[in-house]
This record gives sequence, structure tokens and C-alpha cells, in this order.
Amino acid sequence: MLEQIKQQIDRLKAKGVTYADARYYPFEESNQLFMQNGNLKNASSSRESGVGVRVLYKGAWGFSASSDLSDLPGLFDKAFENAKAAAERVTFPVRLAEKDAIQAQFASPCQINPFEVPLSEKVAFLKAMDERMNQPGVFLRNAYLTFMRKQIVFVDSEGSQIEKLITEVFAGLEVNGMDAQGVMHERKFRLGQMGKPTRGWESIDLDLFAANAERIVRELNELLVADDCPKEDRSVILLPGIMYLQTHETIGHALELDRILGYELAYAGGSFVTLDDFGKLRYGSDLLTVRADATVPNSPGSFGYDDDGVPCQNVTLIDKGILVGAITGRQMVEEANARAKKQIFQGSGGANRATAFYRVPIERMTNINIDPGNDGTLDDIVAKTERGIILDGDRSWSIGSNREQFHFATEIGWLVEDGRKTKVVKNATYKGFTLPFWNSLSAVGDESTWQLQFVENCGKGQPNQIMQLGHGIPICRFDNVRIGE
Amino acid sequence: MRDRILQTLRDLRAYALAKGYEVSIDYHEEESALMRFANSAISLNTSEHLIRLGVTAYDGRKRAGYDLITDLDKVDEMKMAIDTAAEMVQHAQPLAYQPTIPTFSESFADESNFDPALASLSSEEKLAYFNAAAQGLESDEIKLSGILSNGATTLAQINTRSEHTQYFRFSDAQATVVLSHLNLKWEVQSEQSAHTRSVLDPQPVHRDLAFLLDRYQREAPVSLPLGRYDIVFGQAAIADLLSMMQWIGFNGGSMKRGFSMLGEDKVGQKVFSEKITLSDDPSRPETFPFRRDLMGLPRGRFPLFEAGVFKGFAWFQDDADEFGVQPTGHTVMHKSLVMEGGEKDIPDLEALINMPRENDLLYIPFLHYMNIVNPSKGLVTASSRFGALYLKKDGSVAVPYNVRITQSLLDIFGEKVAWLSRQTLPYNTSMSYGARNPTAVIVPLFMCVKDLEISHSNTSY
Ligand SMILES: [Zn+2]
Repeated sequence: MLEQIKQQIDRLKAKGVTYADARYYPFEESNQLFMQNGNLKNASSSRESGVGVRVLYKGAWGFSASSDLSDLPGLFDKAFENAKAAAERVTFPVRLAEKDAIQAQFASPCQINPFEVPLSEKVAFLKAMDERMNQPGVFLRNAYLTFMRKQIVFVDSEGSQIEKLITEVFAGLEVNGMDAQGVMHERKFRLGQMGKPTRGWESIDLDLFAANAERIVRELNELLVADDCPKEDRSVILLPGIMYLQTHETIGHALELDRILGYELAYAGGSFVTLDDFGKLRYGSDLLTVRADATVPNSPGSFGYDDDGVPCQNVTLIDKGILVGAITGRQMVEEANARAKKQIFQGSGGANRATAFYRVPIERMTNINIDPGNDGTLDDIVAKTERGIILDGDRSWSIGSNREQFHFATEIGWLVEDGRKTKVVKNATYKGFTLPFWNSLSAVGDESTWQLQFVENCGKGQPNQIMQLGHGIPICRFDNVRIGE
Repeated sequence: MRDRILQTLRDLRAYALAKGYEVSIDYHEEESALMRFANSAISLNTSEHLIRLGVTAYDGRKRAGYDLITDLDKVDEMKMAIDTAAEMVQHAQPLAYQPTIPTFSESFADESNFDPALASLSSEEKLAYFNAAAQGLESDEIKLSGILSNGATTLAQINTRSEHTQYFRFSDAQATVVLSHLNLKWEVQSEQSAHTRSVLDPQPVHRDLAFLLDRYQREAPVSLPLGRYDIVFGQAAIADLLSMMQWIGFNGGSMKRGFSMLGEDKVGQKVFSEKITLSDDPSRPETFPFRRDLMGLPRGRFPLFEAGVFKGFAWFQDDADEFGVQPTGHTVMHKSLVMEGGEKDIPDLEALINMPRENDLLYIPFLHYMNIVNPSKGLVTASSRFGALYLKKDGSVAVPYNVRITQSLLDIFGEKVAWLSRQTLPYNTSMSYGARNPTAVIVPLFMCVKDLEISHSNTSY
């Protein structure tokens, strides 16, 4: 198959295309299990294979994909035809940043292939967790396991050939309960990196899940008798279960270079960031350093090589509060540098990814991480907080189209008065403007508070794509934030 | 093609029966094409041809599924999918209830919603549409973006309980055309949904864009003070609010699980303004309707709200099985929501702006990034986007920076509703995550709701 694909790439090169690549998926499999109130609602698997072909011709992209590999010439011709049609309307001819031709292999760390674990063992895990969560106060309990495994062979007209084998494991627990007013509340636990270097079936640590099942049930019961979150301004202390999302929505998406350049304006939106801002914009207090680090072991945001064939990197995005980098691929860095008339970006940051063989790669977050700080543990931060609220858990999130403002609803809040945690409050929400919010960052927890959380389903692009990635974040405190709306 | 697909399904059924399996088999085929614009150029031009086979195996109260991306030549692979699902179901855990296994009492085929001219729209036609929609409107500062997605979707089903088949075929197109200011970062948008080629017409899109563009270029922007406003929602905003209502309003399973703003005691009660009438009406071809559900139940008009009175919940089969209620024919990839218009004659945006008004009106055509803050309370939040206008009662028009509203659907569709436009149009709500599933809802062009709070107001675009 690979030889036939290479022949087609050569054939199109001879016809005058600037560049062509193909991503051949010998297989991509998934396995999903979902148990609700003891019912195994979903036990399903899937398998797909196919080829996606990208052709650059006269400065325009064409793409085509099929699971039917019996007519490869037809598939490549279709991508070429699509590029020819697109070349009818070009304003900034696509150029690709230089890269090395690479022959390489990458396999994500995995000890026990989850696809070789018997279904009965997976069901037994869910059942054990379901029983743990089946406690007074819990009206609805969910437990899920999701496994993905895919082999991708990338070849391009510049001589690269990269093979990847990626295994992903996601798992989570959720409890819901109704308060005396008939309002539902929830608490969740999701598997993250947990400091472990590998991620196969071995990440499903029964003790870890059992302890967290007990914790979320206990916290749910505290919520059910809690007062409502007040509507006022306070310092907010974000635990990793909401800090990851704050980072995702108001740093990660805002710094995707295709968004900044207007390539998502028809759908996902733009960014308040402009090309002039790099090297200048204050995007957070001095305490904030943010990286797009695709080299962290064991995260869905680390994948060896992106779908442009560029190696994964650790790119600084925000350095002590100053914006210095973006989430980039080969095409966008060239366009950004040309439009800015200066070299903002030194080559691709290796963040162009596609969700499946039948989708085109676009700029996606890798692991958008915040460096740990020097403000100690949660207790240390609380002790130095006069009037605050600790928040955890994502319940809803809504962000302005240029990522300039946001509203988050969280699962749980704990009020802080004069350096002490006082009581739990329910329906805790907060909102703000992105830049003033990050500029109000007043404490960053140390290494012991840092956790890498996984994101299973980040949506972007048209046709729509779902992507998996990560966020390594410490506990952070922000001041003068409006809560309770 | 239909014969070949159905014959393949019959062969697979025979294979499953011979092995003693209990299965239902769903075939989904899409021919998808999408032209995407950004920065006034075609940024992407794609075609995908994908065939998915979904097998659900049953064994008493146990159920398991296996999905495959495949093609019609790979019968052995499809048989392997059946074997795998049958193997998986052995190790599944019994449900606490008996799941209903699809059984078709007769064969059903509906190709009335398929227009080959729309399904196979060429790249040239798509480019011509965009060129016409944006003609004379682009400049160094004003850039065109958007999509024109078109395609064909075929769904075919069989099961081991009956020899009958179901077959559905749709064509669809969705156009979104956006003009944005390169530096100021505002955007205006116009959209179109098409179920036949003849519906696709760039002229109304051009008219709306030209009108909005003129306003946005002419008027100085304002940051609206926080407070209460009479808000006129446009089509996209109304459609998005109804999408949320599908999950936290009239969905029976959500209600039973505590994620609904409506309880069982609300059936037969007046919960919305008497101006609100909403149904699931598969007789409307613009909604890419399923006239049978995927369990084989015939589907007719199903009233959800009539003059504000809640008529009843819609149930997926699995929820109906779990909670022991009668299924309502809503096991479909999408419903055919139709919201009735009102009495105001407002055929387009220009008419809205020229309409005499007693109060200032905030026009919000589109709600960006809506999310559910609290399902029990029906509380949702979202920001305005794509061409909001502030229509002052003195007849003048201002361009507001985007605002956020965080409100309950019970209030938005409740007694605060002042009026609805008589005119309705289909609004395309298709997503392209996963298998192609063309979806549209029919909604009034405009709905005015009095006294809604703006909780956040931008000071720039
Ligand atoms: Zn995301």
C-alpha cells in the first residue's frame, strides 16, 4: 500500500503540484463503555481504515479521503481536482515553512494494550466503581472507559516517512444529586496523567478510582445541603479540575495561529490577539509562564510528529506574562511572518493535527501547560487569601468569539474568609475579561499542585474535528473576579 | 445503488441468522464535500466518501455494538463486524430492563428528500455561489469567509427479527457566508439551508450582507450599559435556543435523569407564552425529515408546545425501555422541529429596522458558544455575534459590541415574549462531527423578548 501511495505522490509531483502528502491509517480502533446507574448503556467498538490526501497546487489546498483503497489514482486525482478548483480564488498563496525530511517512528508509551484486555474485565471495573458510587444522595451515577488505538503512516512529496502508533486511555466517574429545591448538582473525577510515564490499561488504577469515587460522593452530599454561591467580587482559587479549562479556553484557543489569522472566522471564531502583540502584549502577571509542550511523556497532547511531519516541540507561549509564541503549523507561520513583515515565528511548532484520515490537519493544542510557581500548596495559598472562593469541576463554559471574555460554571465552591476555608457553596460560577483576568493572577502553586489533565474532545474546524490533548497546570489564584452570575 | 445496498444487508442478515445471532444492522453512506473560505480565498476544498456499518447485537437483556468504516466490496469485513458484536455481547452485562430490538413490520423507503443536483454540486458552482453572495462587498479590509457544505446521506437498516428493510436518502447543503473586518474584528453573517438545488440562491444572502456591512461601516460602535433590554433574536439564535431545549426541555430521558427544566407535572400546563407553538413535524421536507424512526415507528406531527402549553415529552427508544413508557417515534438522527411564526409581518432585516418601535430594541442574530449553566433551571449562557444591532426608538441604528446573556429558557420563551415574525425559514443546524446528518429547524425570522438582562458587555469587538 505504501509503495502505491508513494507512486501516486510522485505522479502528482510530475503533474506540477507544489506539495502532496498522504496519511494512511492501516487501522484506527476505539472501544467505549458507559455504565449509568448500574446499566451498561454502551459497550461498543469501532474500526476504520483509509487514506487522506492533501495536495497543494498554485497556492491552494485540495483534500480528499476514502476508506475504499481500490482506486488510489482516483482518490489522488480528486484531491488534485479540488486544489485546482481552490486555486481559482487565492489571496495569499499557501507556502510551507521549511522542515527536514524525516524517516521516523513514534509509539506512545503503553504497557498493556487495552484492546487485548477482555471486555469482562473492563465491565467488572465499571461495576466496581458503580457500586462505590451507589450511595445516599446520589441520584445518577456514571462511569466510563474510552480506549483508542491508531496506526498512522505519513508520507509526503519532500521525502518524509513517519509511522506512529498511538494508544489513548480515558476514564471517568460522575455523580449527580438533587437538592431540596429540585436542582441537580454534579461532581466528577477524570483520569489524568497522574505523574505516570505510560498509559495503557495499566493506568486504570482501582485504588485511585475508588478513593476518588468516595471523595466525589462526599463532596456531592456537601453540595446538596450547601448555600448558593454569593454574587460578588472575590479572589478565585482554581483547582486543576477547572484551571485546565480556563487555560484551554482563554489561552489555548486564543493562541492557535489559524484563529489569529482569521481562518476560523466562519465558525469557531477569531482571537483578540494580533500579530503585533507577539513580544509585547502583557498576557498575565509576571507569575505566568505558559508552554505548548508536546514532549511531556504520557499525554494525548504528545504524539511524536504532527500531521505536517514536523517533530513535537516544547514552545514557550507566554514568558513571565509576556506573549511570545503561538500554536503553529507549517502553513500559518509562513503566512504570519509574511503578513507581519518580520520573522515572528522560527518555523513550525509542530502542532498541525487531524482527527481522522478523512479530515485535514489544522492547528491544535498539544499540552498547553503552566509552569508551577513559588506560592506553595493549596493550604499556603488559602492562608494568604483574605476573601476568596476555591473552585473545582467544569460544569459549563462559554467564551466570546474572539476569546476576549468568558463565563464558567463550576461544580463546587468553598468560601475562604481571612485565610480559612469556611463553607461549601453550590451553583458557583465566575466570569471575566480574558486579559484583565490573567493579569490578576496573584498566586501560582508549587510543583506539588501541578497536574496534567486530559481533554478528550476539543472541537474545532469545518468539517468538524474532535481532538485529544492535555493541560498541565498548578493551582492558581486570581483577584477581584465576579462570581455567582 | 439502493438495490445493491439492500441486497448486501439481506446477505448480512442471512449470515447472522445462520450463526444464530440476534442483531440489527445500520448502513450509513455519505458523499460529503465542503468548500471553505477564509481571508477571501478558498482555504480548503474537500471531498470524502465514507461508508459506515453499525451492528448492534442482543442477547436477552445484553446489548453491544460494533461500528466499521468499510465499503460495499468488503463483505467479509462486514461479517467480521457481525461476529465481533456477537462475541462482545456475550461479555456485556445485562441491563436492568429489556431493550427493544428493532422489528420492521413492513419495508419502507424514502428518497423524496434526495435531489442529485444538490448532492453533486460542483466546486465551480460553489465558487460561483460565494462570488455572487459577496459580489462588490470585499475590500482590503473586508474579508470573506464561510463554508458551502453539500452532500448525500444514505441510511439503510435491517435486523434479524424481520426481513423488512428501511431506507432513507437525503441531499443537503448548508451555506454560511461571513464578512469580517481585518483589523476591527467585527463580523457579519448570512446563512442558507437547502434541501433541493433550487433553494440555493445567493441573492438574499448578498442582500443581508450588504445591508449589515453598510451599517457596520457607517455607524460608530457602542458598548451597551449592563441592564435590561428588549431583545429581538434572529433565526440562528432562536434555532440554537431550541437545540438546547431539545436536551433540557422536552427530552423524556433527560427529565427522568433530573436534567430538565420541565417535570412530568408540567404536561398539560402552560409553561411558555401563548405565542409559542413548537412541534416535531416530519411532513416538512426542509428539515431533512425521518418519516419513520429507526425502530420502524411511523412519524407524524408531534406537538411539543401548543400556545405555550406543554404537550408531552419526546422519548428515545432506549429511554422509553428504561423508564417503562410508550415510545414516541423519536429514535431518529434528528427531529424536524417547527416553531410557528406570529403576527408581525417582517420579511427581512431591513423591514425589522424600518418597523416603527416604541422602545429601543437590541437585535441579536446569532448566539455564540451557548452552554447550559443549570439544566434544572433551564439556565443557558451565550454571547452575541455576527451582526448585532441596537435599534433605537428614534429610528436610528447603532452597532453594539458583543454582549453576554445568561437567562433561563423559561423566561426567554415565557411571558416576556412580545411578538414573533409571521415569516419562518429553515435554519441549518448540521454538525459534521461523525457521520453526516443534515439537520434543520424551521423558526420565525425574528422573536422579540422584553426585559432580558445583559450581564456582560464588551468594550471592543
Ligand atoms: Zn477546545
